[in-house]
Amino acid sequence: MLESLLSPEFFNAILRATTPILFAALASSVASKAGITNMALEGIMLFSALFGVIFSAMTGNFFTGLLLTMVIGGLIGWFLAFFVLNLKTDEILAAVAINLIATGGTVLLMLAVSGDRGSSTSIASFSAPRIVIPLIDKIPFLGEIISGQNLMTYLAILAVIIMHLFMYKTPLGLKIRAVGENKNAAESVGISSRKIQYIALILSGVLASMGGFFMSGGYMNMFTKDMSAGRGYIALAASAMGGNTPIGASLVSLLFGAAQALANMMQLTDIPHELIQMIPYLTTLIGLGVYSYSNMKRRQKLAGK
Amino acid sequence: MKKVLALLLAMTMAFSLTACGAKEEGNPAPAEGGEGTEAPAEAEGGDEAAPAGKGYKAALLLNGNLGDKSFYDSANAGLTRLKEELGADVFDFKVEQMGGTDQDQPKWEPTLLDYCDSGEYDVIIMGTWQMADPLAKAAAEYPDQKFMFFDEQFDFAGNGDPQNIYNILYKQNEVSYLIGAAAAMMTTDASIEGIDPATKKIGFLGGMDNAVINDFLKGYEQGAHDIDPDIEVVTAWVGDFVNSATGKELALAQYQNGVDVGYNVAGNAGLGQIEAAGDTGLYAFGVDSDQAALLPDYADRIPTSALKNVGNSLYRAIKLDLEGQLTYGTTEVLGFAEGGVEIVKDAHYEEMLPENIRTKLEELEKDIIDGKIVVDTAIER
Repeated sequence: MLESLLSPEFFNAILRATTPILFAALASSVASKAGITNMALEGIMLFSALFGVIFSAMTGNFFTGLLLTMVIGGLIGWFLAFFVLNLKTDEILAAVAINLIATGGTVLLMLAVSGDRGSSTSIASFSAPRIVIPLIDKIPFLGEIISGQNLMTYLAILAVIIMHLFMYKTPLGLKIRAVGENKNAAESVGISSRKIQYIALILSGVLASMGGFFMSGGYMNMFTKDMSAGRGYIALAASAMGGNTPIGASLVSLLFGAAQALANMMQLTDIPHELIQMIPYLTTLIGLGVYSYSNMKRRQKLAGK
Repeated sequence: MKKVLALLLAMTMAFSLTACGAKEEGNPAPAEGGEGTEAPAEAEGGDEAAPAGKGYKAALLLNGNLGDKSFYDSANAGLTRLKEELGADVFDFKVEQMGGTDQDQPKWEPTLLDYCDSGEYDVIIMGTWQMADPLAKAAAEYPDQKFMFFDEQFDFAGNGDPQNIYNILYKQNEVSYLIGAAAAMMTTDASIEGIDPATKKIGFLGGMDNAVINDFLKGYEQGAHDIDPDIEVVTAWVGDFVNSATGKELALAQYQNGVDVGYNVAGNAGLGQIEAAGDTGLYAFGVDSDQAALLPDYADRIPTSALKNVGNSLYRAIKLDLEGQLTYGTTEVLGFAEGGVEIVKDAHYEEMLPENIRTKLEELEKDIIDGKIVVDTAIER
């Protein structure tokens, strides 16, 4: 058991489990910073997982498949924004609707495209490749972790850095944060809050769709019904616990990924699986507890108590 | 305001008009006054050419959809075979696809009751554990309606012992026994590519820890241990039947720790195990449908699949019923002897498994049919 935990395979498993959550957590963080809770991550990921398979099969390579999937993700983000911002729908209800449509809609679409209902086995799709970095892959232990990951995992790490720079070093990022902080104040200095929130939700959709693409084109190599399996919601929690900052969200995602990988590995032992399956959720609870405790302490400190 | 009201009224009327049409799609029409109650009777006679005379009519209610390439397709195939054999005037059936998601669940019971209410069907067929409660209610409310219920034990004693249900179960433990034996022989067979005969471990990936899945596991373990008592069966549970990525991770962990051959009993999540077998160049046995045929990319990782032949069992039951030989109010558990379960034995199977293993499996199957081997079960019957 300990041997397995110290093997590169375990760390690879952590990164695999983290990648989809990480994309979705980034998606949640940018929406939250703009003042909107994007509950639709789950549905966007599920749709993207299916469209990733369809588009990569249609275009014959994963890259155009990924790009088109990102367009779909952006469209769903726009769709959500349209309902929330133009039609003044409750953001949670609109998102729940999208998630419900995704559950049934993906199966319907899959049926229309391939005649299957359970999984997209008959669609010859293309997955993102694993990237072997020359020289680095020769380093013992570390090389096996740093090199040889799926391209989407590297993109996820890249996305964290880009999102951090975007949110904190660009004017648009500043505007997004300003709108989220105080909409009226932002508008008083001439920022169109609606435009900014549109941009944030579309961006959020694009990021979530990359996570969805990884599910069926990297993690698995096919789409299976309901395969997002709650990862969108876990990502919401990760983002919230990480203070909705890209770096914070990614660290918490990594924690969740590690908890999931640990739980998977522990099933090799004789410990009852019911207990083991609690680990990811227990981690979430403990994490949330620590988070709100430290928040409380900080507030008390600020209040001078 | 008036316009809106008029529009609403018009929509309501249009909706009640289409109610009959919607019925056939599997959406129970919302009962709106008088129209709603008439709908089922009208709908049934509607589009399908009604069989001439008074043939035996069955309704197959699926709490899912056709196209699952598993139970539901099998059930449909069995009934189709019977219809072709006997002719539509002797036996005919209708399939109602109610959908299998959580959102579809509320309409299962009303649909079932509508079918009972119509009184047009000699028997109404349904299956899986999720239909047990709606069935119990329908059976009590319509004591003259006959039902067939497959793949889940019906609690006769707990529901006033209804005499109008025929309950079909499958000896998944028997078919899993063969899979376990095959896995045990494979994991020590150095002649099979990729197998490390030193590690005597075989894997099992379960969906949820319930009685049926445990019955699979029990047979699998017994089959493996009868070949070699030292074989270790490593089990993992996904916790649901949809999380294929987690299924893949769990299977990868097994394969990376000495397991050579796995067995997936986890619905769509089990596809993860097959992908993991593909990634590691090892093996996984399929379940519920011929997964080697279904997944051509992974066919060379899947020696064979364990099947419950729902179609066969319904075919058998209705034939018996037509002859007046079927006893309602009872549960029958079908194994190899009755054709209720089987493993896929095609050219692919012969190509993948060495002859000595196949011969042994034939022997074991025969021993089970003859009663020389009694496979343990996790289900109290």
